[in-house]
Amino acid sequence: MKIPRISPETLLVLDRFIERPTDWRYGYELSRETGLKSGTLYPILMRLEKYSMLEACWVTTEEGVPLRHTYRLTSDGLELARTKLAEARPHSMVRQPAFCSG
Amino acid sequence: MQLRQAATVILESAIRIAPPSSRDWGRAMMGELNFVEGPWAGTMWALGSSRVLAKQALVSLIIPGRRGEDYVPDGGLFANSATLRKAALAMGCACILAALLFFAAPPFRQAFKVALKPWHLASGNIQPGFVAVAKQAEIKHDAEGEAFCAVRLQDSRESARLAEEAVRLDPNLLWVYAVVAMRYPELSETNKWVEKLERWDPQNALVPLITAESIHRANVQRGGGSPPTKEQEQAWQRAMAAAFQSPKFDDYFDRIAQLNRRVVPRYGFYDPYEVQSREQIDLPDSALENSQRFAQSLLNTGADLEAKGDWKGGRGRYWTVARFGQLIDSEGRTNREHGMGTTLQAMAYSQLQASAGKEGMQAEAALFGYLAAKFDPAKGKHGGLPGESAFGRDTSERNAAVVEISGIMILFFSGLVVVALSILIAGSRRRARLAAKRAKPVATIVVLTSAVGMLFSSVTLYLTYRPYWYIFQSAIQNGDGMQTRDMQEFLNSTQMLPGVSPHAFRTFTEALLYAGSPSFLFYVWAGVTLLGVLGLGLIFLRHFMGRPRAQAP
Repeated sequence: MKIPRISPETLLVLDRFIERPTDWRYGYELSRETGLKSGTLYPILMRLEKYSMLEACWVTTEEGVPLRHTYRLTSDGLELARTKLAEARPHSMVRQPAFCSG
Repeated sequence: MQLRQAATVILESAIRIAPPSSRDWGRAMMGELNFVEGPWAGTMWALGSSRVLAKQALVSLIIPGRRGEDYVPDGGLFANSATLRKAALAMGCACILAALLFFAAPPFRQAFKVALKPWHLASGNIQPGFVAVAKQAEIKHDAEGEAFCAVRLQDSRESARLAEEAVRLDPNLLWVYAVVAMRYPELSETNKWVEKLERWDPQNALVPLITAESIHRANVQRGGGSPPTKEQEQAWQRAMAAAFQSPKFDDYFDRIAQLNRRVVPRYGFYDPYEVQSREQIDLPDSALENSQRFAQSLLNTGADLEAKGDWKGGRGRYWTVARFGQLIDSEGRTNREHGMGTTLQAMAYSQLQASAGKEGMQAEAALFGYLAAKFDPAKGKHGGLPGESAFGRDTSERNAAVVEISGIMILFFSGLVVVALSILIAGSRRRARLAAKRAKPVATIVVLTSAVGMLFSSVTLYLTYRPYWYIFQSAIQNGDGMQTRDMQEFLNSTQMLPGVSPHAFRTFTEALLYAGSPSFLFYVWAGVTLLGVLGLGLIFLRHFMGRPRAQAP
């Protein structure tokens, strides 16, 4: 199994995924939770997907609104996330949300 | 609202330029943009997303289909339109044909030869074409053809042999001895030639100047720093005295011009550099040194006579120097001749000024002072080649650079066309390799762009050189010397690397090795070359990195 480069930002994303491992997550939702901007978040998602750590699918949310891309870790992704997060220190990964409306 | 719309437009544009494998991700980012709250947050989301897609597009441009993901078999420009590809090829072939047709025009052929001159010089092939002309002239027993080669060949022995042969066939060409001896005073034949020249043209100051140069050169070869023997010194003094007493000076350039007019059309030897160049035909190197030394001795003798009260005798010596300077200045054709003439005049007039001042003739002293200042070489008001430069040196240097670059570009584009056409032919075979088939669209683009470049370079070369071709033709056919200075400056510049001043280095190789002061144009030229090389590298990188890899079963 090939492993992608794991940066501190990648760990943040993995941390959010592992919180609810079976849930499909939206990009904007992940951005708000991790504090990562789109320019940082999407390259991480693309890299994880390329290494088959992430699966993606299109979903319809409401009529007249374009489809949304949702993401979930694969079994390999879950295993990697658990390993890497155990090695890292979770408390050092707290960041402020990026796109707060308030 | 408008800000949100602008953000949407930016992201849509980024999706359009993104590589196929990233477009889904672009749509995903666009989908999320609808849920980002606030106009500024939306704009930042769109800009961040666009940055990601733009980066992907750039990487894809340099290395398409990394690991083969983006590779679409037979894709790219012209992929879906064989008609478009055929039209592009037809257009390219038309441009190539048009560029080749330029070679039918004599001005263009001449321009192309001139453009490649620095490369001939760099390769050591200094006088291409002369050997053939000399051989033809010998076979035909053509005295003028042999004389034409003799006055220009850089091989002194061959030059002397041809001169002897030319004079044997036509004794009226005896002046050729003087021209060859001016260039090679060290030749053993010089003394024999000088005797003949003294009988043939007894009043010409050039002949004793050659004798003096020959004595000077013999002394240098004998041991450099050792003083000349008494016999040598006496012979040198006699020769210089004869030169200073001569009533005329003829460097035989008129005869050389007449010879050009007859010989060049006869042999179709339209090499303007070789025909027009006066660099090789000039007074001997030490003529100025010899003349200055003798002039100074005359001026010193005059000063001694003045000190003894012989004012007339002293003035006579000064006027001898001034008159000889006037003669060389007025009859000479080259920079060296004019420089020598003005230097001698300045020396003489300074002495005459001092002499007139001592005698209390203030008006005369003022006049001589004015003349001494006028001819002072340090002030640079006098001298230089005769004739006006219509274009100016800057224009000539710029035209030379354009001609050289155009010539190189024609060769460069021709090479690209040959390579690209070979790929197209190889890719059109039934059993062609996949790589060759896949390279066909790129090769089509290369053929088209190179053909256009070839045509553009040919047109530029033709139009830039055309005025010089007319100047050269006019000089050869009608003996019209107008604008020969422009031609001279242009030809001097074409011997150099484009943009390097011809006055900085003597040869192209020197310019390469010791390029100390290349001009702005040189850097532009170097930049264009570098960009061309980088472009080619990019094309090859795209080709080899983008090819599909074998898949594991």
